Amino acid sequence: MNKEAPLSIAERDFILDALREDVRLDGRAADELRPLKVTFGEEYGHVKVQLGRTSLVTRISAEVTKPHDDRPFDGLFTIAMELTAMGSPAWDNGRQGDLETYVTNVLDRVIRHSNALDTESLCIVKGVSCWSVRADVHITDYDGNLIDAACMGIMAGLQHFRRPDAVVKDGQVIVYGLDERVPVALNITHKPLAVTFHSFDEGKRVILDATRKEEQAAEADVVFGLNNAGDLCFMSKFSGSPVDAMVFVNKTSVALDKVKEINGIIDKALQADLAKRAKKGMAEESRAENDR
Amino acid sequence: MSSPLVLLPGDEIPSEYLPSTSSAPLRLGAGLRLLSQPHPTTKSSSTPSHVLTATQAGILSTDNKRNAVSILSSPHRRYIPTANDLVIAQIHHSSPDYFHCMITPQAPHAVLGQLSFEGATKKTRPMLKQGDLVYARVLSTGLGAGAEVELACVNPATGRAEPGGLGPLNGGMVFDVSTGMAARLMKASSSSTGEHQQEGVAGLVVLDELGKKLEKAGGFEIAIGRNGKVWVDCSNSGDAAVKATVAIGRCLTTLDQHELTAADQKKLVSRVLRELKIEV
Repeated sequence: MNKEAPLSIAERDFILDALREDVRLDGRAADELRPLKVTFGEEYGHVKVQLGRTSLVTRISAEVTKPHDDRPFDGLFTIAMELTAMGSPAWDNGRQGDLETYVTNVLDRVIRHSNALDTESLCIVKGVSCWSVRADVHITDYDGNLIDAACMGIMAGLQHFRRPDAVVKDGQVIVYGLDERVPVALNITHKPLAVTFHSFDEGKRVILDATRKEEQAAEADVVFGLNNAGDLCFMSKFSGSPVDAMVFVNKTSVALDKVKEINGIIDKALQADLAKRAKKGMAEESRAENDR
Repeated sequence: MSSPLVLLPGDEIPSEYLPSTSSAPLRLGAGLRLLSQPHPTTKSSSTPSHVLTATQAGILSTDNKRNAVSILSSPHRRYIPTANDLVIAQIHHSSPDYFHCMITPQAPHAVLGQLSFEGATKKTRPMLKQGDLVYARVLSTGLGAGAEVELACVNPATGRAEPGGLGPLNGGMVFDVSTGMAARLMKASSSSTGEHQQEGVAGLVVLDELGKKLEKAGGFEIAIGRNGKVWVDCSNSGDAAVKATVAIGRCLTTLDQHELTAADQKKLVSRVLRELKIEV
């Protein structure tokens, strides 16, 4: 019972027929995202992303550990994502499905391997101590396009997160609490995002941000990982039927527009959240009574 | 009795809320369970003392004409099969005697007899394959753990597809709505055909409105499954078939997500039709 329910023949045929007339079930154009909402929690690095009916929570955390022996100057950065029964009844707790392996792999390559987070800046003392940053992704509802949504969550989280300040004094590492010293933002080198397209009808129809039903009816998917500058850091055509080379060429520019659009939304949400925090901080400081 | 009665699971239903007008047996709908009934020998002239409890949270709804009570549940996505519900099932595989169908994706399969279709014999039974859809009635849900849910597309007593329309669904499209929405839609459509002009039963006018607007384009067929599935077919509409189907689907899903008044529903229908460029 732990499998995604197959689509009925009627649904599959209809989705294809509708796409042949350039109609999508939710009334979107082929290159249109679902409404995207990015909100931040009370703590730094706590992000909630809602892309249509796909929603997830990302939590960034940091702790001090020992760096790997072969890379003494580098900190650690891991992305942990588990598809639990909370997200969809088709997923089992503690059992890794194909989707999970695939999504984790893509996220790793788009964000980690493209060096979006500068791991060298996480080093505290060479070979002795460094920061280990961890991004946990929890899916709370699933309606397709997990890769793009998770990418948005992690990137927004990394930009929002503040790690505690740490200094080295006489060979001793001192980590200051969040209330003792102003926490430090992470060093983000660029902001890559994944954009997924699905192809139908022998590659003649290509759509962006597919829902679960559309994903199931699709023949193949193509994932692009790009940043605002248009640097392509990841491209994959993992499985399914062949896709025309021109699709890659044309859709890369569409993907770039989308990455700029999404990064714009994330930036806006970040600015709003920072402004809110600054206001709250001022109010706290200007309070007449103190805790003593 | 005009104010709605909200019940939580385990709550007993006060007897004054039960329809007492008719002498016909009381019909229990979804979300209700009979704990004890009046003893036939001690039947007095006073109101019968059925002890009914709710198994789901929701609002009690009574139908005096059919002498029925049921729970109008809140919009959740989990469907619990109840006898006599109409559902849209998807064939998963078939065995010599049965089609094994999915009512809800991750629940155990329900069985549908190969011969429980109208006019089906060993030679004329429908050949359904994996992924086909059927509109069926829940015959029995069985008792205890591991019990199988049995479906039928025919009334075993008469051998006819009662109510009409049961059987394989060809073409069209299925849209997912919440189970509460499906229940409301069924209630609205059953009362709009029977009683005359009971405007806005359960506040739903969207189907009537769509029917009026799409009549010129060829109309549509609709089947509502209590398991939260709505099948729509507009194959009579010719070129606009796909768009009309999408329009109906969008109206229903939007209505499911937002609470809309009758006027807003009419506006929604016009807006969706305009966006899809369907001429009315």
